[in-house]
Amino acid sequence: MFVNLDVGVLHEPLSGRRWEPARLRLEVERRAAHYRQQQLAPGDRVFIGYGNCLEFFADLLSVWQLGATAVPVDARLTPFEIETLVRVARPRLFLHQGELEPSLAPIFEACNVSPLDTDAVPQSEAQVPVSSFTLDDDALILFTSGTTGDPKGVVHTHRSLRARWIALQQALGLESYRRTLCLLPTHFGHGLICNCLYPWLSGQELFILPPFSPQVIMRLGALIDEHEITFMSSVPSVWRLALKTARAPQKGSLKRIACGSAPLTAHLWEQIQAWGGTSEVLNTYGITETGSWVAGTTGGPFEAEDGLIGEPWGAVVAIMKSDDTAIPPGYGEPCATGETGFVWLNTPALMKGYLNRDDLTARAVSQGWFMTGDLGYLDAQGRLHLRGRTREEINKGGMKVYPADIDAVVERFAATRDMCCFGFDDPLYGQNVGVALVLEDTSADTLRELHAWMKHHLAAHQLPVKWYLLDAIPRTSRGKINRDSVAEACAAHEPVDLANMLGAGR
Amino acid sequence: MSRASNHQALLAFLDTIRRPDVAAIDLGEHENLVDSGLIDSLAVLQIVLFLETEFGISFAATGVDPGRLYTVSSILDLIDEFG
Repeated sequence: MFVNLDVGVLHEPLSGRRWEPARLRLEVERRAAHYRQQQLAPGDRVFIGYGNCLEFFADLLSVWQLGATAVPVDARLTPFEIETLVRVARPRLFLHQGELEPSLAPIFEACNVSPLDTDAVPQSEAQVPVSSFTLDDDALILFTSGTTGDPKGVVHTHRSLRARWIALQQALGLESYRRTLCLLPTHFGHGLICNCLYPWLSGQELFILPPFSPQVIMRLGALIDEHEITFMSSVPSVWRLALKTARAPQKGSLKRIACGSAPLTAHLWEQIQAWGGTSEVLNTYGITETGSWVAGTTGGPFEAEDGLIGEPWGAVVAIMKSDDTAIPPGYGEPCATGETGFVWLNTPALMKGYLNRDDLTARAVSQGWFMTGDLGYLDAQGRLHLRGRTREEINKGGMKVYPADIDAVVERFAATRDMCCFGFDDPLYGQNVGVALVLEDTSADTLRELHAWMKHHLAAHQLPVKWYLLDAIPRTSRGKINRDSVAEACAAHEPVDLANMLGAGR
Repeated sequence: MSRASNHQALLAFLDTIRRPDVAAIDLGEHENLVDSGLIDSLAVLQIVLFLETEFGISFAATGVDPGRLYTVSSILDLIDEFG
């Protein structure tokens, strides 16, 4: 059996609940027995529609114990988005906590999905289940985009996950992770694979908090002191807020801090070091496809620097002049030291591929190399520096929002003639979502209908907060849309006064 | 500035961050801004930015009790205390 149940103690600092490993083992066995009774079999997929609590981890391990594949999904997704994912991934079970959104019932019935309330698992079914799977079986699917159209599900096997954790253990050790805090979502590669599972499955204590909660961020220093936290990870936007609103920890327990999922400036880096009372602040570079964290500054003393990442962990980095998967590293032309090019990664922790999307996999993976879509260079010490991104995403406070997901919804609205969504700078989130619209009519009724349409199809964090009504969407001479150019064009206009326009209709 | 003018400035600001699909409401000073549905929980952080830019209040050294950001009255008290 290689689902390791030699885990650490799990804590929920806000509720005060904690599960010792013995309790966790019981919970895993009880759930596995129940799910097996529900005909869950090896190879089946299980959506876990909640997270960041003790039960999530018991469900995750019980799914693995039965040889099934866990698919943690964002609890904020709309029923429309869940339906989109369900139709692609065809799960056997949908695990949830408490009441299920009523509109999901017919969807699940049509797709032969059994919803199960994880809080209602009977107490009396405890028995030791038998694992029946191999290292190369699918373990985890994380959807990174396409929730409104063509979902992009990153499939990791037990082997690729294990490779990531072994690489991290070699690069980072475990001493600093003795009491790890997680305030990132558990449906997110950075939060789940690295912040939570890496230390916890290695026997370290894990303190799990609600994700991106202002109340938590404002109490961060006090929570760190109270629980003698030694390690935590987060994203730059959370740090910007913590630095404004939370007093620094005073007990000196923090040994290491990771910050990832968005660019970290040297200034913010130094502020985090000062606030946390540790120089060991790592600007971690991670991509869900590579099992998240794949590089950081672990090669000795360093000066904080915009874009500095550091040394690879369990990966080889190549900087190439091309992003064409027809000419991966070994075939194409590499960049010289210090020369910016496309960042390619080779790691045993690489995903198996995108779920049911061999076409997408072929566009990203070639000869074992993953084309990241990032731009960067290697310095003379072999440290990676990032300089930008070529893939389209809006980084809203560390939450990735994919413009194509929003376009897919707004384009289908009956009165939409043309549109384009884009990211704009936001002092709170780093970036936020705007949309340029060309509509058949711009009456308040139509705008209210469009807002209702978006709310029905998009999760709250995906909703555009600035709308611009234009006569035409600017295009390049070749007729293509450049989102940055659209954002620039919109900046010259006043956005729709959504608050008054929508409020007036009530 | 007087508490009355601070009150006016705060209400004007809250109107800019209220949930777009929630009508402007006549909010009592002690009513919870999030529970009332006027703003979402993340918008509390926008209030922090507002206090910083409009009143020069910094919580960086002392931190702030999140409970003090949820009613008009407690926010006005914060302005009186730190502003």
